[in-house]
Amino acid sequence: MAPDAPIPEAPGLLFVAGMNHRTAPVAVREQLALEEEKIREILADLAGRGLLQEVMILSTCNRVEVYGVAPVPGEARSQAFSRLGSHRGMAWRELEPLLYTATGDEAALHAFRVAASLDSMILGEPQILGQVKDAFALAQSAGTAGPVLHALMSQAFSAAKRVRSETLVGRLAVSISYAAVELARRIFEGLEGKSVLLVGAGEMSELAARHLVDQGALPVYVANRTWSRAQELARGLGGVPVPFDQIEATLALVDIVITSTAAPEPIVTAAQVRAALEARRGRPLFFIDIAVPRNVEPAVNDLEGAFCYDIDDLRAVVESNLKERQREAQRAHALLEREVVKFVGRLQQLEVVPTIVSLREKLEAIRRAELERALARLPGAAEDTRRVMDALSQAIVNKVLHAPMVKLKDSSRAGHGRRWTEMISELFGLRPTE
Amino acid sequence: MNAVLFDVALTAYILAAAAAIGSLAGRRDQLAWVALLLTQAGFICHTGAVILRGIELRRLPFSTLAEMISLLIWAVILLDFWVERHRRVRPLSAFVLPVVLALGLGLPTGLRSIVLEPPINGWIMVHVALLLVGLAALVLNFGGALMYLVVERQLKAKRPGAAYYRLPPLETLDRLTVATLTVAFPFLTVGLALGALSARRAWGSVIAFDPLALFSMVMWVIYAATLLGRVLGHWRGRRAAYFSIAGFCVMLATLSAGVFLHGRHGS
Repeated sequence: MAPDAPIPEAPGLLFVAGMNHRTAPVAVREQLALEEEKIREILADLAGRGLLQEVMILSTCNRVEVYGVAPVPGEARSQAFSRLGSHRGMAWRELEPLLYTATGDEAALHAFRVAASLDSMILGEPQILGQVKDAFALAQSAGTAGPVLHALMSQAFSAAKRVRSETLVGRLAVSISYAAVELARRIFEGLEGKSVLLVGAGEMSELAARHLVDQGALPVYVANRTWSRAQELARGLGGVPVPFDQIEATLALVDIVITSTAAPEPIVTAAQVRAALEARRGRPLFFIDIAVPRNVEPAVNDLEGAFCYDIDDLRAVVESNLKERQREAQRAHALLEREVVKFVGRLQQLEVVPTIVSLREKLEAIRRAELERALARLPGAAEDTRRVMDALSQAIVNKVLHAPMVKLKDSSRAGHGRRWTEMISELFGLRPTE
Repeated sequence: MNAVLFDVALTAYILAAAAAIGSLAGRRDQLAWVALLLTQAGFICHTGAVILRGIELRRLPFSTLAEMISLLIWAVILLDFWVERHRRVRPLSAFVLPVVLALGLGLPTGLRSIVLEPPINGWIMVHVALLLVGLAALVLNFGGALMYLVVERQLKAKRPGAAYYRLPPLETLDRLTVATLTVAFPFLTVGLALGALSARRAWGSVIAFDPLALFSMVMWVIYAATLLGRVLGHWRGRRAAYFSIAGFCVMLATLSAGVFLHGRHGS
């Protein structure tokens, strides 16, 4: 038997109400940020009070949001936030002005934007999707997520995935060290097997080297004025220590050079790089110079096949990436709007699915019963007679079902599925007896 | 009828080129789809036009220079599909389609004339077929070189723009230009050698003051120098790209000399 979805008496409306880093100060958000167990308790409590047919709570450091399905979203909203606030003694009237609310399509769009990280403080940051997934899992385990939230969330997850793969929103580097890696990827086809020379030490340069290694760069040479420090760093990165006076010779071997020493004068000169490029037979060489004053002569960038980015250049790339993320966010938004249209279609289908299932089951039950009764009256019937009768009864049921099914599906698409489900339930006596 | 179909194909290519460039500059992915669909539609019409021409004229549809160029365009589009799909060098078409137009715009008039050349024998067919493959690869070579220069310029200037965010890495583009040149060069060399031999037999001289033959020698020298520079001088990147572009400009000059100037390749 397929699950008999309980049909609520009054139609519920999807809504979202919440506050985020734009609408509420952190002092308020932290009051409402609750641990998992508390949220589970609140979910169960809210569901038990009857205003909410379905409910889910998303609580992160930047937002507290309630997604729900309720006949009267306004009441449900104040109930939910009163309950959330009561834990830290915050009254509804303090919270209300900080809240944004959306219903129906707009609520769905909001959910999609949150999951796709278009609503995040750092546009495109990847953690939020996991947090939304956790929030939904919590609501599921608390038993407060029903078919509407299920449809909403599965669509939100796939939409977020599409945004990740089809736009650059979450893919452009917003930190200096990642920007360096990204630049390396614009020069080299892949970083697997590209060798790196790290000169000097520093948090940012080590981080950049670490990112490169994570993406397959190998081997890593480490040079430092202090030999023991070079050995230590090399150990940490799984690399090879190189004496400081061997830097010039190493330039011919490596593809990417990261420098961050406190040297007052450049330690890599254009003449050295020109010689190295000669020895490299034109293979490109990429310098990431994080040091101030700079460790690599700026003229290196003018050599064919050499690319030299200093700290300001990297910052400029990050700036440009942020702008590009903004542009991409507009594209992503348009994509999400199309996803909302799909979701609305699914939701309308959702209305008629239980009716279709129970109609089918009812007719199938009748068919089986009648078939058995008929066959009981024909004890000597041959196998093929039985088969013909079975097929006959099935064909009749299918033909009878065809028109109402089509009508139901069409009406759901046209947006008045509810009227027809009621009519058909009435006609065929489908109302579940509760 | 075939000329009409060819015009339709050319129009589709023109629109596709505009869409491809628009999608790159305006960061619109839908336009890239439009470009792809238009190119495919154009390609189908083009294929139909070539076949129909053969049927209508009751001869092989690659007997005049205009027909060869039409076939060259056809081969370029086919190769572009393959490279974009399997080598993921996108959006190559934004750089290749405009070339197709430069080649194609002079053609409708050329195709309408149905003057038959002196009969084409077996060796000349081979000459034509080899050059077709070679030149098609060289058109892609040009596209790759152009993309290389655009990306390299943005990386050197440290001003990321649409190309920085959308085009493949430098190394990939450099590989594409090496690969296309390496594939094209033997075809080009043997194709031209066969042409020279046939020319000597038919006209009594290799060059015979035929503008197309003269230009094609220059073109061969440039591509030979590029390949030599790559192998022996380890040229990479920018210099090799400049040479590829120079070679391509001479190729355009060669083909237009053939189409617009009177010579023994007909016009």
